[in-house]
Amino acid sequence: MAINPGKLSQAIDQVLSDDRDVRAATASHQSEFPYGREEEAQVTRREFCGFLFLTSSAFFVATGGFAARSVLDSRSAKAYAPMPIEGAEALQPGEAMNFYYPGEHDTAILVRTSDGEYQAFGQKCTHLTCPVFYVKEHERLECPCHEGGFDAKTGSVLYGPPPRPLDRVEIEVRKGEVVAVGRTGGGHG
Amino acid sequence: MGDNYRKRGSTLGTTDGRAAVWQARLVILIMINVAQLWILAAAVEAALAAHYDHLWPLIISSGLCWLIALSIYLWWRPRPRPGNRP
Repeated sequence: MAINPGKLSQAIDQVLSDDRDVRAATASHQSEFPYGREEEAQVTRREFCGFLFLTSSAFFVATGGFAARSVLDSRSAKAYAPMPIEGAEALQPGEAMNFYYPGEHDTAILVRTSDGEYQAFGQKCTHLTCPVFYVKEHERLECPCHEGGFDAKTGSVLYGPPPRPLDRVEIEVRKGEVVAVGRTGGGHG
Repeated sequence: MGDNYRKRGSTLGTTDGRAAVWQARLVILIMINVAQLWILAAAVEAALAAHYDHLWPLIISSGLCWLIALSIYLWWRPRPRPGNRP
């Protein structure tokens, strides 16, 4: 069976037509940044090996860097300025509200339990930092991402994958005003 | 004929051997990358959970993987083709 070179060429052209359209549409960019089509498409085994080794180096540096930073963050002494929590006085038993403490990116949740006490915790779940929310019926803080649960009075883990209790925000009631005075807990708050 | 057969067989064997070594290098490097990715994920989870005592073994494991990758990249190379030997 003889192969017709003309038909073969036409078939190849048809297959490559989309690619050629893209090349034509980006002609102006290619004139500014010229490169050969063949060079672009081919990666040698040696280059691929080098790429894999660089990836391995990047993973090692990332692991070491992330670990070092988290340990340094946990060891650095932090001073927290007292901050009144606006709107906390209006909170009824069984209700909760969100606030930020100590920084504007540190989300926290203030809970007024059924017995009228105020409890405050960091809002990030200690599993993978999803925000937790208060469930009045069960008196607990729940994480919707992986179904973790925390006690609303102590912040301790009740069930699910979280490995440690929630960060605790220390609060005081001063002249009827609820004030956040500190934050404790390992890891990233 | 016998000489030709032996010569041809020897050349093919060398080429096949070089390809096998190259493929083995790539496969081992890919496996090391997968292992290091898993180690990185475990380190992130340990750090978020404040389990700092778990971090050292993870860093050392990742470093060992990197050393193996370095040795593969630098030294575990296929022998040069017979014609290219100095």
